[in-house]
Amino acid sequence: MSDHAFTPLSADGLSITPQTSGDVLRVKMTGAVEMRDPGELLNPYWTALDDATRAKNVKRVEVDLRDVTFMNSSGLLTLVRWITKAKAHAPDQAYKLVLQYDRNVTWQRTSIPTLAKLAPLIVVPSEVNG
Amino acid sequence: MEAMQITPVSSDYVELRFGPRWTYISCVRKFVASFFMIGLADKERAEQISMAASELLENAVKYASDEESYLKISIAKQSSVVDVCVKNRAEPHHINTLRRELALIQAGNPESVYLKKMESAAMTEGQSRLGLIRILYEANAKLRLDVHDNEVAIHALFPLEGA
Repeated sequence: MSDHAFTPLSADGLSITPQTSGDVLRVKMTGAVEMRDPGELLNPYWTALDDATRAKNVKRVEVDLRDVTFMNSSGLLTLVRWITKAKAHAPDQAYKLVLQYDRNVTWQRTSIPTLAKLAPLIVVPSEVNG
Repeated sequence: MEAMQITPVSSDYVELRFGPRWTYISCVRKFVASFFMIGLADKERAEQISMAASELLENAVKYASDEESYLKISIAKQSSVVDVCVKNRAEPHHINTLRRELALIQAGNPESVYLKKMESAAMTEGQSRLGLIRILYEANAKLRLDVHDNEVAIHALFPLEGA
């Protein structure tokens, strides 16, 4: 089911497709995050997603990063900002953020579990095969 | 006619010199990954080396002293180490920032430093400044800075297993 509150994004070699299913939001990312300032594109996007997630009372967000071939450190910072924001939500607004990755992609296997350490109560790194 | 001098190099050596343009970085990263995938026959190490090359080049482009300057990346596989070196010209205040940054990240436990830097970067606007600690922690490399006048050479050194 598509939902207008969760709009897709496609720019600079990256595409993001959010889709809701019950109280789960699935966010599929494809491409690479290696632009000079990914924050210009992604910070407002993640903020809007975070706002809509809480407005719709979604309790689980699954971000599928398996098809992201590379993410630079500025791209990682956009996820750090999202995690920092999500960590601060009151319990009734909180949601689990599941970061799905492929262990065969080196940057994913090293960066994603590290990101999860920022907020172990809400961020779950999930190794997904295939 | 003078004979051209050719310096002998090892088979696992690559050197590129180009203008500080952001759009070249991705292309260099992919090339370095492919090159070392063949040279090392180790996909993980090749991807770590290419990640380091990419992060160092991003820093160099951001802090290069002017558009007319150049970046030089050389990657050499020696007997027990792969040395990724990025050289560029930079302003003295950027060189001092780099020295402080390196001293800070090399002083503590890499994971704690990385997480702390992520947390502080999230609270401030501007550049991430996570590239060097990412190389240190995620790729398990050592970093070294050489400065001659206004030319900066930063090395990421990757020990090779079994060497």
